[in-house]
Amino acid sequence: MSLDNLHVDALVVGGGIAGMQSALDLGDQGFQVALVECEPSIGGKMITLSKVFPTLDCCSCITTPKMSAVAHHPNIKLFTYCDVQSVQEADGGYRVNLVQKPRYVDASKCTGCRECEYACPITVPSPFDRGLGAYRTIRVPFSTAVPQVAVLDMDYCILCGKCEKVCAAKAVDFNQQPEPFEIQASTLVVASGFELTPLGAKKEYGGGKLRNVIDPLMMERFLAPTGPYGRVLRPGDGKEPTSIAYVQCAGSRDTTLGIEYCSRVCCMYAIKQAMLISGALPLAEITIYYMDIRTFGKGYEQFYQNAQAMGVEFIRGKVASIREDDDQNPVVKVELTEEGRTIERTHDLVVLSLGMVPVPGSNTALNLPLGSDKFIAIPAPNASPCATAHPGIFVTGAAMGPMDIVDSIVTASSAAAAASAYIREHKKEAVYA
Amino acid sequence: MPENTPNPESPAPVEPEEIRVGVYTCHCGGNISHVVQCERVAKMVGKLANVAVSRTDPSFCSDAGQAIIEQDIKELGINRVVIGACAPSLHEQTFRGAVTRAGLNPYLYHHVGLREQDSWVHASDEEGATEKAMRLMAAGVAKARLLDPLDPIRLGAEKQALVIGGGVAGLRAALDIARQGIRVTLVEKSPFLGGRMAQLESIFPTDEKPRQLLHDLIQAVTAQVGITIFTQAEVTGVSGYVGNFSIQVTQHARGVSPEMAEALTAACTQETPDPFNYSLTRRKVIYQPYPGCYPAAPAVDWQHYDGQPIQVNGKSIVLQDDALVHELIAGAIVLATGFDPYEPRQGEYGYGELSQVITLPQLIRHMALVKNGETLTWNGHPVRSAAIIHCVGSRELDGVHEPQADGQVNNYCSRVCCTASLHTALEMRQRFPRLNIYELYQDIRAYGRGHEEIYRHTQNAAVRFVRYHGDDGPKVIAAPKGDPYPVLVQVKDYLTYGEEIEIPVDLVVLAVGMMPRQVDDLVNMLKISRGADRFLLEAHPKLRPVEMAVRGIILAGTAQGPMNIQESLAAASAAAAKAASLLSLGKVELPPFVARVDPAKCNGNGACVTACLEEGAIALQTFVENGVEVQRAVVTPANCTGCGACVGACPNRAIDVQAWTLAQYDAMVDAIAMDWPELVEVEK
Repeated sequence: MSLDNLHVDALVVGGGIAGMQSALDLGDQGFQVALVECEPSIGGKMITLSKVFPTLDCCSCITTPKMSAVAHHPNIKLFTYCDVQSVQEADGGYRVNLVQKPRYVDASKCTGCRECEYACPITVPSPFDRGLGAYRTIRVPFSTAVPQVAVLDMDYCILCGKCEKVCAAKAVDFNQQPEPFEIQASTLVVASGFELTPLGAKKEYGGGKLRNVIDPLMMERFLAPTGPYGRVLRPGDGKEPTSIAYVQCAGSRDTTLGIEYCSRVCCMYAIKQAMLISGALPLAEITIYYMDIRTFGKGYEQFYQNAQAMGVEFIRGKVASIREDDDQNPVVKVELTEEGRTIERTHDLVVLSLGMVPVPGSNTALNLPLGSDKFIAIPAPNASPCATAHPGIFVTGAAMGPMDIVDSIVTASSAAAAASAYIREHKKEAVYA
Repeated sequence: MPENTPNPESPAPVEPEEIRVGVYTCHCGGNISHVVQCERVAKMVGKLANVAVSRTDPSFCSDAGQAIIEQDIKELGINRVVIGACAPSLHEQTFRGAVTRAGLNPYLYHHVGLREQDSWVHASDEEGATEKAMRLMAAGVAKARLLDPLDPIRLGAEKQALVIGGGVAGLRAALDIARQGIRVTLVEKSPFLGGRMAQLESIFPTDEKPRQLLHDLIQAVTAQVGITIFTQAEVTGVSGYVGNFSIQVTQHARGVSPEMAEALTAACTQETPDPFNYSLTRRKVIYQPYPGCYPAAPAVDWQHYDGQPIQVNGKSIVLQDDALVHELIAGAIVLATGFDPYEPRQGEYGYGELSQVITLPQLIRHMALVKNGETLTWNGHPVRSAAIIHCVGSRELDGVHEPQADGQVNNYCSRVCCTASLHTALEMRQRFPRLNIYELYQDIRAYGRGHEEIYRHTQNAAVRFVRYHGDDGPKVIAAPKGDPYPVLVQVKDYLTYGEEIEIPVDLVVLAVGMMPRQVDDLVNMLKISRGADRFLLEAHPKLRPVEMAVRGIILAGTAQGPMNIQESLAAASAAAAKAASLLSLGKVELPPFVARVDPAKCNGNGACVTACLEEGAIALQTFVENGVEVQRAVVTPANCTGCGACVGACPNRAIDVQAWTLAQYDAMVDAIAMDWPELVEVEK
């Protein structure tokens, strides 16, 4: 494909599972697609997960081939580590200004051999492992990253030059600057994803302060085979937990947080993690404190019933607060709403089942109208479920509200169908011979 | 001469290439390596004859993992690849892509399912699982030595699609496929488009009017170039394969001509319960379901028309169903066959026994029929108090709920009933302010965008919530004579800490779940699968969420599982994207795993033809060999599914399924059955 003039049929913003699927569906139909990702690798949140419900497929088994398919697709051009700066309507389509952030590594030369990483003396907490693990200041982001190109974090680099010396490809370039560039696209597909409700959002739960109160993505890293420790242990003292609790709706359905909506995925991920922990720590007792269990998807109710049969304890109750005892054990104060009394229970580890919020800043350049939930508004959900208020801009995945992977993939294909119809009708091609 | 003429002369001898097998034992991110000692397996396999390299990796399916294999093919001259990993259904295609990119024929690769066939089922026996992995991998190598390069069967694909079902999902799928330049035939069983959505009055969470939305969608569909619509039509025959399905559609007559429609409808006296209103009302057998329906012309309900003449203008007219049969070709088939509301069995929560017990869909129709006023009535009595019971026909438990005729209970959640109930309760509250409304639920599943707000509004609208446990559900009984209310609902309420309460009501509304529309004929004709929940089964919930395992068959909407309208629309558009991806290039490739006859061994006895399960896949043809006419079996690859029935039937071992030959099986069995000392010897 010729991208010299950077003219494409569709530009997909976001290289998580939704963006990848939209790009693949458009590319498979013969459209030229640019996929823009702000991180150094595509894969999004999904690539950091352990296993996925309700099939308990290992997550990399589903994600990495999609990443690979995107990377090798003849009709898809990948732009990683790029930010969208602005979007303007132009020539019946959109002119998108982007900036390639400096990797300090020449992507065209880097072979992904990781010699720089082995030579680098500076270790920093790895966001891929939610800060639980560490990586080097220069590194390939993670083992299955696409592209396999190193990136250097200038905030931590001491400019010792060791990486430059060991790089056989002479790819390290400390003088790289941000490079602005432009892409013209007939249509945009926004797949900017989600963030978790901040861990400390609900003060009463002590998230961010109590060391053994963690977020669910941390637990995913504990459970993932590629995780930092290869096992489940509590971050406070490295002890293997024998009593683990999940606090549901810890960032959803809570008007005090301004997050009134249900985040849809928390019930299922808590149940899934409980099952995986039961496998990893057969003696551990797992309790899920909930208001309503919302296992509404295909095969989800059976999944919930299986967890009950496995001995996961479900307690209907609203957690009021969490404090810490002298041994760093979180003590959960919970109102048992089926019994009308309040109890305190001590656990080794508490996972706050945080909800989904939009990625801060993800709409700055696009400036699309938002719903009352701050996710991108869909003006006619029962007619065009992926169309934003701007003609020619479509949205998919968690950027349009909380949703799980299955729903993200379906809406991604749906957005691709809407975008491709728009492209064809826009080009006013005679589609029938 | 037929295309598959056997060549009596043996092919010119080719210089045998040196077989160099690359073997890759995948950890599968721990799925395999937590049980199987992959390094030991790799080491042992590495010592087998012809194996040039044997490696392990945390995940060979990743881009980096695939790159290792590609590099080996290019740099080490690997010409046979064996990968031990997950099930081939997951990643055989992935690795075939990698092998192709490296320049090797994609069928010189064999996939061993070490995860499903070994580590997952022998999780508690590491040593045994490791030995089994060695044997499976050794068998893979034995087979790989005998692999031949193959070419996929390339066929032209008709740029035409068939959509079955004219509800909201089918309409959307048809529109979106046609917008991609692919012609669509839409087949709807009933005389009118719109499906179940037309029976609703207001859609949550936007409070839009469903028939207006349907009208807009149908307008778009009818205005779209390239869509042909058959109403009162059913698919009565399917043959062929992806890219080239031959379809027979039987279409019933509308029964009344446009010029006679009005007079005939007026003169028609025969009536039948109106399914549009869930039998709450009756309608004539010449009917339109609702004003503004499409097509607007009335149609005859052939199922209920008794064949008696209708008197019009002194003439006696007997309506005739002159059914038409259409033959179509389609490259892909979209199934949008929809759902039916769960029909409670006789006596379930008093349904069918107490006249005051109805379903939520019935209530929605009833409220549409009730003229605006202050009071809701039922059977002529004012309704002062109504209870909505959630999860009827959903979330049922084995051993608690009575099984249905097929012995199953519906243990799935129907996902739309919670918000639909709350939304209906809100409407009742608005229209009938003095009505007492109770919602008896297990969990409120207001999961969607804007649904939680509806739940909150309902809580603030003086709707009373009662929480019951699924294994101890509500009981609906007739009230004793003299009671002010005709029906009592007895339930243990866990919002009041397990208190036994009795709710006196005038009306009980069962929030019934969704059941798949009965499509046995289609399932048999298309050879497709249903899940344990009886809904049509997708190939993989994440990798191919709207496609079925049979290529070219795509799912849209509630045929696949409970969905609301927004979700059905998204699924339908996704189905359209898949159909467009499949057909837009005008050609499809089928795997070459089809039967192949060795004419030198075939003696024309025809056992294979008798055994064959497919139409037109294998047949005897006459050839002249050395001046003598002989019969030989000939395969038509496009019709062959590679099932192997002919292979087993042939007494001469003259037939093989390509890539799964008898010689390859023999070699695999020998390798699997290798003596243990021999295996240990190799491992050393």
